[in-house]
Amino acid sequence: MAQKMLIFCGSDEPTKAFPPFMLGSGALATEMELTMFFTMKGLNIVREGGAEKILLPGAPMTLPQFIRTVRDGDAKMIACSAAFPIVGMKEEDLIEGVECGGVATFVIAAQEADVVLTF
Amino acid sequence: METAELAKIQAAKVVDARGTACPGPLLEAKKAIGAVPVGQTIEVWSGDPSTKNDLPRWAAKVGHDYLGALVADGYDRIFVVRRK
Repeated sequence: MAQKMLIFCGSDEPTKAFPPFMLGSGALATEMELTMFFTMKGLNIVREGGAEKILLPGAPMTLPQFIRTVRDGDAKMIACSAAFPIVGMKEEDLIEGVECGGVATFVIAAQEADVVLTF
Repeated sequence: METAELAKIQAAKVVDARGTACPGPLLEAKKAIGAVPVGQTIEVWSGDPSTKNDLPRWAAKVGHDYLGALVADGYDRIFVVRRK
């Protein structure tokens, strides 16, 4: 069975928003299964039009390109709906391919993961 | 389980967790399942769109049966059978 990586994405600050995708795409390349959990300001990464505004000069790809890369690699992308009111968004603001999940989803993914990273 | 079958279920306990976001509905579900006998069904109402994805995973992890969910007016009705 493939090893699993879970990444907690809690920030839209570029130096914290990009590394999950850099490492996550690497995990997919080494045939790991990847789950990314977006909460608090990290939700802005998966908000429609949000990733385009998070810029990191010198990064190998833009954030939308990274999102496409991990999505093409079948990463599971989960948005924490409990934090929607905190950042002023709704389920319909999510980009395609992101599902809502909560504490149970995160905790169980963490229990089953071989690697958990937090940003 | 099909929508028509779910709609016929008479749950032993109905929990209205609509006023709370995650982890509220999960904690309410945990409390409710402990309050019904093994083999009985609980029905959790939640307006948080994560709950319908969370409760099946929780049920599978802890050993209960998730039956399915119905969409109501602005909330989900989620059915779980106590199995232990």
